[in-house]
Amino acid sequence: MGIADLTSDLGLDVPARMIMLSRCTDGELKRMSLEMGIGLSLDEMKRVRDHFSSEGRDPTDVELEALGQAWSEHCCYKSSKYYMKKHFFGMGAPYVISSNEDAGVVEFDNEHAYVVGLESHNHPSAIGPYGGAATGVGGIIRDIFCMGAQPVATVDPLFFGPLDLPLDRVPQGVRHPQSIFHGVVAGIRDYGNRIGIPTVAGMIQFHDGYTGNPLVNVGALGIARKEHIIHSRVGGPGEVYILAGGRTGRDGIHGVTFASADLSRSSEDKDRGSVQLGDPITKEPLIHACLEANEKGLLRGMKDLGGGGLSCVSGEMALAGGCGAVIDLDQVPIKEDGMAPWEIWVSESQERMMVSVLPEKVRDVLNIFEKWDVLAKVVGRVEEGRRIKALWKGVPVLDLDLDFFTAGPEYCRVVQPRVVIREMKEASFPDPGRASLERTLLTLMSDPNICSRETVFRTYDHEVRARTVIKPAVGRPFSPGPSDAAVIKPLSGSNKGLALTADVNTFFCEIDPYNGTMASLEESFRNLVCVGARPHSITDCLNFGNPERPDRMSDFARSCEAIGEMVRYFKVPVVSGNVSLYNETETGSVPPTPTFFTVGIVPDVNLCMTSDLKEESNLLYLIGVTKKEMGGSAYFRQLKQECGCVPSVDLEMSKGAMEAMLELIGSHLVVSAHDLSEGGMAAAIAEMCIGGGLGAEISISRIGRFAGLEEMRRDTILFSESCSRYLVEVRLPNAGKMEDCLSRHHVPYVKMGTVSGERLRILDEEELLIDVGIDILDERWRNGLRYVLEGSQ
Amino acid sequence: MKVSDIRVAVLRMEGINCEQETYDAFERLGARPEFVHIKQLEKRWPDSGGYRDLEEYDILMLPGGFSAGDYIRAGAIFASRIKSSVLKDLMRFIEEGKPVGGFCNGFQIMVELGILPGFSSTMSDRPEAVLHANDSGNFECRPALLKMVNRGSCVWTSRIERDEVRLIPVAHAEGNLILDDPDNAYTRLFDSDMVVFRYCDADGDVEASYPFNPNGSRFNIAGICNDTGNVFGMMPHPERVFDRIAHPDWYRKRISRDEGDGRAVFESVLDHVVKRF
Repeated sequence: MGIADLTSDLGLDVPARMIMLSRCTDGELKRMSLEMGIGLSLDEMKRVRDHFSSEGRDPTDVELEALGQAWSEHCCYKSSKYYMKKHFFGMGAPYVISSNEDAGVVEFDNEHAYVVGLESHNHPSAIGPYGGAATGVGGIIRDIFCMGAQPVATVDPLFFGPLDLPLDRVPQGVRHPQSIFHGVVAGIRDYGNRIGIPTVAGMIQFHDGYTGNPLVNVGALGIARKEHIIHSRVGGPGEVYILAGGRTGRDGIHGVTFASADLSRSSEDKDRGSVQLGDPITKEPLIHACLEANEKGLLRGMKDLGGGGLSCVSGEMALAGGCGAVIDLDQVPIKEDGMAPWEIWVSESQERMMVSVLPEKVRDVLNIFEKWDVLAKVVGRVEEGRRIKALWKGVPVLDLDLDFFTAGPEYCRVVQPRVVIREMKEASFPDPGRASLERTLLTLMSDPNICSRETVFRTYDHEVRARTVIKPAVGRPFSPGPSDAAVIKPLSGSNKGLALTADVNTFFCEIDPYNGTMASLEESFRNLVCVGARPHSITDCLNFGNPERPDRMSDFARSCEAIGEMVRYFKVPVVSGNVSLYNETETGSVPPTPTFFTVGIVPDVNLCMTSDLKEESNLLYLIGVTKKEMGGSAYFRQLKQECGCVPSVDLEMSKGAMEAMLELIGSHLVVSAHDLSEGGMAAAIAEMCIGGGLGAEISISRIGRFAGLEEMRRDTILFSESCSRYLVEVRLPNAGKMEDCLSRHHVPYVKMGTVSGERLRILDEEELLIDVGIDILDERWRNGLRYVLEGSQ
Repeated sequence: MKVSDIRVAVLRMEGINCEQETYDAFERLGARPEFVHIKQLEKRWPDSGGYRDLEEYDILMLPGGFSAGDYIRAGAIFASRIKSSVLKDLMRFIEEGKPVGGFCNGFQIMVELGILPGFSSTMSDRPEAVLHANDSGNFECRPALLKMVNRGSCVWTSRIERDEVRLIPVAHAEGNLILDDPDNAYTRLFDSDMVVFRYCDADGDVEASYPFNPNGSRFNIAGICNDTGNVFGMMPHPERVFDRIAHPDWYRKRISRDEGDGRAVFESVLDHVVKRF
């Protein structure tokens, strides 16, 4: 039977039909799901059919669309929940106020909380980079202020294919990475700058695996007085739903279903309508109005309309408050005439907020929105019971049991672990001499994964609100070096600060999802420690491939296991997060990409530390242990060497080094600090030199050469990316006290040399390995992205 | 007049986004700032208790941001909103010698309004200058060094020594000041003491190019005032460096002074109002 024959029109003045699932064969159920574009599997369709049979009827198209959306991977985490629950859910800390809503709420001080969230906007950004990235920022900002918090910072971890990818290697139906890169950066710039929230941190990684699947993760942080924190739930029956902000349109229909499937070469044309359109100039007053109404105590509940639209928000808010609700779909302000009820119900149009209000406060709330010229309208009411209903001019078009509606399926998918090499391996060619090492360092400095991000972050306003005390660049104002983390001072009356960083090392995770995940998370901790912040909360965005493929699912499971291990040991909780699966095209999956947005607390921003060298003749120390862990390193990638094991985290050593560093920075025994990451020790010292405009003379002869151990190659010492290591600069009179502190924490260290001159000179005994001017290092590092974008060097 | 009696209108409309830090700057110096939405001046506020008139205030501030999205030309929409509603009140405000200041988008709005440079009158019929797209073609968020070159006419910079160099950051895509009738206008600007800040390098060279001059502005002009010195606009953001800890390199010389390089702009104008009114 044709699909059309299995539907019957409801006879309204708009398109609305009954879908006769009870008459469908299995094949027809599958086709129905496919043709409606709701992405439900056969089993899920059967479950829906049986549910309605038990109610003695068939579903309407509005109901079926609503279920397709609510049960999508994106909305209900059906593949990922099992492993996250198993490994790290529920491991809280006493200072976590809420970790199960749109964003995590964490205590900042006695009176204040910070609110933090991180989301992916991957699929939309692949199809429409500019709009996709812009609405990504918009979405995460809504997640923050819907908790009653003023957004104060955003961070953007971005992942693209190689910018210099030859045109003949760009798969069919895929945009060139440069086009995606420019579009995404412009989208973040134009949206973020207009709403006036500083973009203070982020990361950009380039890898072949992102060519067809760019990843755009966007994080935000807000601050609120604790009593102003508002939850995504209604207060009780009799309350009124007010929908505020943008109109509802056909943009963003099936957005979450689209995000819960692989991209295909026809996605560009077919899925255009799934990408929402952003409008920062509706958003900016919407933030003011919502926060004002909340601070005046006029709201009982507030939630943003993101993926899932009106459907998810009205159902979830009611359920969370132990109630049901009715929505009058004909009252929803729409962008264009003739929209079907199901389209209004599931549209993911941007810039919309739902608030639940007592009837006597409705006038006051509408007045506030009117002040800001924000459209707001009463669209429904909260009822007793546990059903969500939608009416079209009084006629029911949806009437769903809330428990059934929101209890999406949960799967424990099949996993097929991969073989991971754990062999320590050094390079296989003869130890290179000076000319080669120097050339390698210069190439690494301009490597797109290491070089300065200045051309990007200068186009983001990172200082609006005037609270960014450690910026994305540190050191000399006109020739700065890289900052390990950004620090903001969120309150005017307090010197307490929040440090923010975003991190993941894709190359490690690709070879070894477990150790790679641990190393990535540890690096984010080190970033915070280097500015003087104690890691306080983790927000993750887990970007992986198709969960229905056992090898992808195994990567996900191992990554979750690693997060659990770190969280348990360091007692830093995961307070919020997002999972993005199906990051996959016909050419394959993205490498496992667990992105971490980690927040630390700085007791007093006046004590913050930076990485730029400060003063001639100060001493330089390497803290931590260098190992032959070259797998995934920038050095091995450059030389196309066969990979050995990736760096692994020695938990005890990591913790010791972290505590020692915090003590040293807190008491100002060191004057600069930098963590060692991509490019290893050599790149780290070069970056410190660049920021400070000062040279250094250091020796590697005491590194990695313990009695009884096989001697380590010089290139390994220079470029290994082993974890838990830091470089610090210390004044001569404080060196003794610093060494005592490190010994007390059982942390190995090596005195390497001094800050001196205007060249970086690295020696092994008497032999000069590297001798290069800071101006040359600066030029290579600062222009790395420009070289690859302009195709010159 | 006492500082605590000085009422500052911090004007806002949708897309203005530097109003909080601008408000904070005045409040921390003891003045009485108030957020005023353009709709309150237009008397289009939901409750009439919120209606406001410009004459109630002693200083008018136009903060930075992207008013109405700046989709047409930076500042154009806000300027036309002001012109169509409170034009006469604003003219009177300026003619009474009350200070009007604008940073970034505020400056762009003032140029669109014709109150800067204001060669021919308090407010010219059409703009006499434009803040054109930066030479780099990019939004530029970066530190800038400014040399204060005003010879004494500007009431917003009396607390800054002449030729003193201060670090005040910029964040804009359209900050390249171009005057109409360049043959005469620049001469007039300099001769009438209407130039206030010029971009320079660490040695104070006001011919330094990018990145010291972040937008390509001719003669490195960063901020100007009208010929009576009470109306003042600049592209950089003094409100962002009210505190030293907001400087990009504060940690390189740890000194106890907590005053940032932008604070003097606010102190100067409050000083002026205290003495004059």
